[in-house]
Amino acid sequence: MSTNTSTAKNFFSGLTRRLEIRMLGLAVAIAICLSILSPYFLTANNIFNLLDQSVVIGIVAVGMTLVILTGGIDLSVGSVAGMTGIVLGLALQQFPIPVAILFAVLTGAGVGLVSGILTAYFGLAAFVVTLGVMAIARSLAYIFSGQTAISNIPEAMSNIVYTDVFGIPSNVLFLVLLYAVAWAYLTYTKGGRTIYAVGSNKEAARAAGLNVLFYSILPYVLSGALAAVAVTFSIAQLLSADPLGGNQMELDAIAAVVIGGASLFGGRGSIIGTLIGVFIMVMIRNGLNLLGVSPFWQGSAIGSIIIIALLVERLVNWRSGR
Amino acid sequence: MNVSNLTIQPQSAASNVVLEARDVAKSFGKTRALVDARLELRTGEVHGLLGANGAGKSTLSRIITCHVKRDAGEITYRGAPLETNSTRDALRLGIALVAQETTLAPDMSVLENIFLPELGRPGRLSFNALRRRASEILGRLGHEHALPLDMEVRRLSAAQRQLVEIAKALALDANLVIFDEPTASLSPSEVERLFDIMARLRDDGRALIFVSHRLEEVFAITDRVTIMREGRTVANAVPTTSLTQSDIVRHMVGQELNTVYSHAPAAVAGVVAPVVLEVKNLSAPPAVRDISFSVHRGEILGLGGLVGAGRSEAAEAIFGLRPRKGGVIKIEGREINPTKPADAVKAGIGLVAEDRRVQSIVPDLTVRENLLLAHIGAHRGFGLGYAQREKKLAALIKSLDLPADRLDANLLTFSGGMQQKVVMARWLLLEPKVLILDEPTKGVDIGTRASIYGILREIAALGVAVAVISSDFEELLGLCERIVVISDGTSIADLPTTMLDEEKLTLLAAPRTSTARNTEFLRKLTADFGGTAFWALLEENGVICLSQTSATTDIDTGLRPGEARELEATRIPSALRQRAPSFVTEAGYATLLLPMRSRRGSDLGWIGLTLPADGSLPSPDIIAARIAALNAID
Repeated sequence: MSTNTSTAKNFFSGLTRRLEIRMLGLAVAIAICLSILSPYFLTANNIFNLLDQSVVIGIVAVGMTLVILTGGIDLSVGSVAGMTGIVLGLALQQFPIPVAILFAVLTGAGVGLVSGILTAYFGLAAFVVTLGVMAIARSLAYIFSGQTAISNIPEAMSNIVYTDVFGIPSNVLFLVLLYAVAWAYLTYTKGGRTIYAVGSNKEAARAAGLNVLFYSILPYVLSGALAAVAVTFSIAQLLSADPLGGNQMELDAIAAVVIGGASLFGGRGSIIGTLIGVFIMVMIRNGLNLLGVSPFWQGSAIGSIIIIALLVERLVNWRSGR
Repeated sequence: MNVSNLTIQPQSAASNVVLEARDVAKSFGKTRALVDARLELRTGEVHGLLGANGAGKSTLSRIITCHVKRDAGEITYRGAPLETNSTRDALRLGIALVAQETTLAPDMSVLENIFLPELGRPGRLSFNALRRRASEILGRLGHEHALPLDMEVRRLSAAQRQLVEIAKALALDANLVIFDEPTASLSPSEVERLFDIMARLRDDGRALIFVSHRLEEVFAITDRVTIMREGRTVANAVPTTSLTQSDIVRHMVGQELNTVYSHAPAAVAGVVAPVVLEVKNLSAPPAVRDISFSVHRGEILGLGGLVGAGRSEAAEAIFGLRPRKGGVIKIEGREINPTKPADAVKAGIGLVAEDRRVQSIVPDLTVRENLLLAHIGAHRGFGLGYAQREKKLAALIKSLDLPADRLDANLLTFSGGMQQKVVMARWLLLEPKVLILDEPTKGVDIGTRASIYGILREIAALGVAVAVISSDFEELLGLCERIVVISDGTSIADLPTTMLDEEKLTLLAAPRTSTARNTEFLRKLTADFGGTAFWALLEENGVICLSQTSATTDIDTGLRPGEARELEATRIPSALRQRAPSFVTEAGYATLLLPMRSRRGSDLGWIGLTLPADGSLPSPDIIAARIAALNAID
């Protein structure tokens, strides 16, 4: 009987119908290409390198996913990371490490709260609000730091990154746990499903009695807090807090979320897709470095790949009539 | 009628026909909006285009203005076939639409809006020339100084915007202007002013189509009327003077009544069930002015009225979707004050909104999640808590006949009827005390319609108080035990279905621009003279009371506001029959009945004053003078 082949076919078309699977395919294809082009790409050393490079952008992309799922956007994450990094650097001069980190994360959350209230409660456009916050946060980063990097970070900070747990670096482990928690939250909790419903049809969500206001603000708060967490890992590696830190990070994060299949209109997207998007971004950067491509050309390469990925995606959707 | 037609237009009746439409048909998907529409329009006339909700008036208007392309039929305009399908071409031919919801650009000035179509033409604009032309047009409308040309349109009143729309039509030198419900947002004096303008345009030799539900106004301004029903023209270009209000309503409703719903629901016998939802003097301006009604346990109440009467807005105000300005909402006797839907849900109210796609469906969630959406809102925990509803959900899926194997599909791939059932199930899952449904069978196929009616009866039988908003009077009469009629944001009648038919319902639902003013007038009348004053429409053997106020309780005319009665069933039959300009005494009452006419001489019904026969009676002339003063322009 042909049922076997047809179920296999159904299974396969069911798989390809899922955007994450297609993007995973893209990620694998890129990995294969790069490993052919560069023998160094698929070494254990480089894979750890890739994971390590994914941590900072990956953390920021989780917050960005939440914001984009509600139909918003957070352009301020890079600047908030820069500002909270300076806050962390200054706090470390006076407080023990955990207190200093908590202080930085709360600062990031507070900035997010302001953006969230301005967009969700006052109804201002998220693009404009976070653009304003982006400028303010960057300027405060320079003012707080006195225009210079803070380099006397306690050595103990690096334990956050370089402690191995069962052979896995702690920063990579954190990333994995964060994605697991975010995935579970978005899939299995009231709040997660409300975030999807708000992004998909805000009016219907409100009419069904959901708490639209709270769950429209929450993603911005988490996005701000996660920007601070991300910069904490970055400072722990560099042992220096730079007011220019996190520059243009918002672009990488938005690109990762969009490559991962999220709709900028909200309601559509997934945390797994975002993770794949992050890997695609990091692999391309890493591969171009390995291949010795001039850093000036890297922007063009990454930009083209993002646009081509989305274009292909749109063409596939047109063909399947969605 | 044809004979009188000929006598009015003895010669060349055909030569001044500006537009003729024959056998026009149009379908939207499966819905046949127009089947066999006809219209004949002459220069120098105001032509009323009438019909119930969904009769096809707007579709026909939009076909004439080329907003919509017809499927079949011929339209000749000034002797040549009208074959364009762009609105710009129609404008160039001199066909313009003054829409109810204005199509103005709110951030642009009055001047720019008047000449907006000019911006689509090539070449340079001379603002000085435009300014001169604008003043000239407004002057022709008699409003040269009333409208500052540089003011932004968003700062204008509804009436002023209407004026800009008209000026825009005139700027194009339109020969044929369609006014689509132009008076909906105007006050009585503004309506009079609009009619002056329309009369002036008519006398200029233009042809005007006046689309309206308002029978008073139809009589006030139109020369001939065309009446539509279910996409067909049922009365073609009949002179208005040869018709009465009831004639028009009969045409609009049709003769073949009560065939689909042969069974009127049995009135609840014996004990009256307790009131679950009580709404008193609800107001949420501008759409909701003063709405009161109550729904009993196990009852299906109908909220009838025309589209735009404020019913949906009232439901939204009750549900916390719209800010309220006044009024009391009680659930089982306890006052609630919902400021957001979550409050209303907590109090036990569910709302199945009118626009499923916009207000109910979350497209990116599965059918199952859409079903459980209200549950998520009501759920207190951190997780989803789907398990606690599992049994109830399974039972609902079974009883509503939902496809259990397609729960993970996209809800948008379901038929309209199935979508509606899912949205209903969303609320039923929470076991509400009150379920309000706004146009529950809109976009639902006939087969599913019957099953939705069945479901509503079952829900009511389980003790839920059900309120159904519908513009389909047939549906209301077949489904409900009681109907509250809402017109112009005010609840004007509360009647058991057994006392109603489609005709009476249509007559009651027709908005009357003069209602508020006349009710106030009755109040003053009884304050000055005592007794009971009423405003009513009289037919040969019946009377429909539109409004009544009493200074004392001991005078009972037998009339009730919002109710229709046989003359003999009232306490003042002789007075109502004689309609004499003096007091008629019978059974201890003296009743004066005087006709009320608008400034343009159209019939606004009758004003009655009933006093004890043994007291002193005021002079009829004084009251007649007061009525006349009321209708003189303010």
